[in-house]
Amino acid sequence: MSLKPARAYHPYAMLAPTLAVLVLFFLVPLGIAFRNSFFAWDLLTEPEPVGLGNYRALWASGELVAIASRTLGYSVVVVVASLALGLGLALALNREGRLYAFVRGAVFSAYVVSWVAVALLWLWLLDPQAGLVARVTKGLGFTPVDWLGNPSVVLFTLAGVTVWKITGYAMVIFLAGLQDVPRSVLEAAALDGAGPWQRFRRIVWPLLRPTATFVGTTGLILSFQAFDIVRVMTQGGPVRSSTIFVYAIYEQVFVNMRVGRASALTVVFFLLLVGLTGAQWFLWRKSSEGRVAT
Amino acid sequence: MVSVAEKLRGEGRHVKRRLSAIALDLALLAVALLWVGPYLWMVATSFKSLDELVRAPAWPIPSALRWDAYREVFAAIPVWRYTLNTVVMATLIGVVQAALALPAGYALAKLEFSGKRTAFLAVMACLIIPPQVTFVPVFTMLGPLGLVNTMAALVAPFAVSAMGTFLVRQALLAVPNEIIEAARLDGAGELTIVFRILAPLVRPTLAAMFLFSFVYHYSDYFWPLMMTTDDHVRTLPLAVALLREQGTGVRWHIVMAGNVVLSVPVLLVFVLAQRRILRAVTARVLS
Amino acid sequence: MNGTRTSSRRAFALGLGALFATACERPSRPRGEVAFWFSYGGNNRKVLLELVERFHREQTAVRVVPTFQGDYFEGLVKLRTGLFVGAPPTLTHVVGEVVPYLAEAGVLERLDGVGADVTADLEPSLAQRGTFEGGEREPLVALPFNRSTPIAFFNRPLFEQLGLVPPTTWEELRDTARRGASTTALQRWGFECPIDWWFWMALVGQAGGRLVEGGRLTLGGEAGVRALELWQTMVHDDRTMRPPPGRDFNAWEASNGDFLAGRAAMIWTSTAFVKYLEDNASFAVGAAPLPGDVRRAVPTGGTFFVMPKGLPAHERDAGLAFLRWMMQPEQASEWARRTGYMPVSMRGRQALEDEGFFRAHPNFRVAVEQLAVADTWPWSPELFRVQREAVQPRLEAAVAERRSARAVLAEALAAVEAR
Repeated sequence: MSLKPARAYHPYAMLAPTLAVLVLFFLVPLGIAFRNSFFAWDLLTEPEPVGLGNYRALWASGELVAIASRTLGYSVVVVVASLALGLGLALALNREGRLYAFVRGAVFSAYVVSWVAVALLWLWLLDPQAGLVARVTKGLGFTPVDWLGNPSVVLFTLAGVTVWKITGYAMVIFLAGLQDVPRSVLEAAALDGAGPWQRFRRIVWPLLRPTATFVGTTGLILSFQAFDIVRVMTQGGPVRSSTIFVYAIYEQVFVNMRVGRASALTVVFFLLLVGLTGAQWFLWRKSSEGRVAT
Repeated sequence: MVSVAEKLRGEGRHVKRRLSAIALDLALLAVALLWVGPYLWMVATSFKSLDELVRAPAWPIPSALRWDAYREVFAAIPVWRYTLNTVVMATLIGVVQAALALPAGYALAKLEFSGKRTAFLAVMACLIIPPQVTFVPVFTMLGPLGLVNTMAALVAPFAVSAMGTFLVRQALLAVPNEIIEAARLDGAGELTIVFRILAPLVRPTLAAMFLFSFVYHYSDYFWPLMMTTDDHVRTLPLAVALLREQGTGVRWHIVMAGNVVLSVPVLLVFVLAQRRILRAVTARVLS
Repeated sequence: MNGTRTSSRRAFALGLGALFATACERPSRPRGEVAFWFSYGGNNRKVLLELVERFHREQTAVRVVPTFQGDYFEGLVKLRTGLFVGAPPTLTHVVGEVVPYLAEAGVLERLDGVGADVTADLEPSLAQRGTFEGGEREPLVALPFNRSTPIAFFNRPLFEQLGLVPPTTWEELRDTARRGASTTALQRWGFECPIDWWFWMALVGQAGGRLVEGGRLTLGGEAGVRALELWQTMVHDDRTMRPPPGRDFNAWEASNGDFLAGRAAMIWTSTAFVKYLEDNASFAVGAAPLPGDVRRAVPTGGTFFVMPKGLPAHERDAGLAFLRWMMQPEQASEWARRTGYMPVSMRGRQALEDEGFFRAHPNFRVAVEQLAVADTWPWSPELFRVQREAVQPRLEAAVAERRSARAVLAEALAAVEAR
């Protein structure tokens, strides 16, 4: 499938600018973070070496496990919900017509607006006294939930707002994937008496699996990197119940002035996410290998 | 010959199908409302007066259109300069990313060379690293060079889009090799092939890439905050933060007005170009 | 088609190149320019900018360029990163608790250059020497900027209607909260106070405790426990107090908002919000000093001006000139008048008194008078970390989850010792 390059150095020359930027701004900083994780440093005085001290402190206090499980929980909800909603909306809106174009645009518009704007907007909407949601709930006769003040609910709330913002992205990618499903096959199946669910399961879904993998993987990565939403809406609270990975790293640098510990968290974060991404991608590809030529 | 019973059953099914179609349409309208509603409310809030805001914050319709909040926003922040900075920055990033992703994607998709796998994995690994992690080292790198607080600090670190490179590679995989071979036979250099022949073929992917990148970087708050120390290259999202005074905050109408000012340019572009953008994105983003 | 595309592409490339070229200019600071990095928005920012304009009108040798750097934490990180790469601002401001840390790290310039007349005129409890235990023994590195103490605000007509007066003891506080609360159609809390280190320090002082006793960090010991338990009782047993949601200033925002909306009869917050609350309330706002228990006590808060070390001499002098001007009675009283922070100059305070400002705005006087019972902070480089890392998050947990106050504070102490 590949061609021989016209000159041997061509591929390297073509990749050089990309790799240079990536090495300089991503891999080198990651390496520096790795090195910093073995020091205690506040950006002001000299760094002092502490060996595995940072990792030990994070592990012993249970913080590492707590942060990881919170982030994973949040991530799973976001990925599953946005995938399901995105797929559902794509299926429902994959047709011509002004109404459908309007709904597509409306859903996607949330993706286009900044995280800070979205977070502020929902912070206001979810206010337990003055917010629209609380008013409506009270009007309907229920007691309003303290969406952002209740530690057991807050991660779900944040996940919900995240899903609200990124479903448009998933929907659009699925719409693209749906274009590859040949109408003729679907029509033939319909004539043969296959119902909509069967058509979906047997024809559409197998063709969409690579798309779903893509959405799932990027969704996992995006949700693991959630930051602005926590910073604006909960600042990691209440009682740290929404302190997820990137916010925890931020907190260590900005609030606690512990760059070393932040670096240790970074290293764990990176390894965890690489592992998860690899595992997810591997699992999905394996299961779809038999059915579709990718 | 269709019996009466069959005909009625047929009509019954027909009516059921129409009803369910209408129900689906209504559900979709509700969905649209769920997404558009909050904006409408944001805009409505920005037009309220302060005591109206305190008295009846949830009421979606302001008693009168008051521009105080907007006046305050424009007085408090150099909106036009920030907007210009933001647009320039996001555009530069989008363009540079496309310019770099094309040759890189071509090499990864079409050329045989050793180290290909490693290069590809390296590119993908960088997707995972968020800016909160890299900013201290990058700051210490750029600082001594005097590049902090310049447009370069805002653009260079994002000159590569790992996602974009991946997408371009996917798109190029679907392009038949014959085109490239024919162009080579015609004497075209590799760069000409990449930028003059292949680029137009993957235009939808490039458009989608530019769109996603522009949107993401337009709204970036963290990186411009950390990398700029004064106004001349600052971006708009920072301005909204200025509107919230630490401790006060009931002035939601001002914050919402700031939000509207922040979101309107992007939304406007989106609304005007919606059909083109969505069509570009849905057409072969993935192959 | 190809031809036009090539030429347009070339033009584009040229344009990009030009932009990048301008983008890479090395910014250098001209003589007489002061880069002032500040960390607040809204009204305070407006007043600051107007003061700077006035400074420019009164003299032309020094030009101040104030730029916003995020909140207090972000501003602090920017200061640190700026110092690290050798591009610090001329001036910035930091919260009091972090001054000893910066001073011990050796990054702050001495500010005696503002003049002995200026430093002598500073309100002692607001200046470095009166804010920190032993502050006068340390070199002068911090000058007061926006300084505050916590005070109580109450809904005047509501209090009159219910026959309440501002409490002067803890028992009265609980009683007033009970009578001020209402669960009828409009739920109203009797008392609201951010679960914040600052207010906890006030309670600790009132219970007779100190952060550092006999040279050792004790977190107030028994007094610390009682302070925390007071909140727990009012929140969970009396059910008259609402701990506002959100962390740091988001909680303060929520608390102020509740007060303005009539959902809290009385709140504790900073005197910094006097003007804000008075202007935005639809009812008459009353201010009162905090109650006492074993004694009356309040901590001071707000920020100090600091100047990084290592600046070129002309920049340092320009910065000192601006600081000197800011400490003058006219500026100190203007700042106080328009925000609610306290006047840092004694002559400034006198001027406000003489012109009848305090008579016309009695709420502004409360904090100033309360200064008489202000406690000092220990001059400890660890203070900031103790506050942010050890104590603050645990206060939240103790109140929200009703964990044993004693256990929580013991944990905090252990955390500090463990480093």
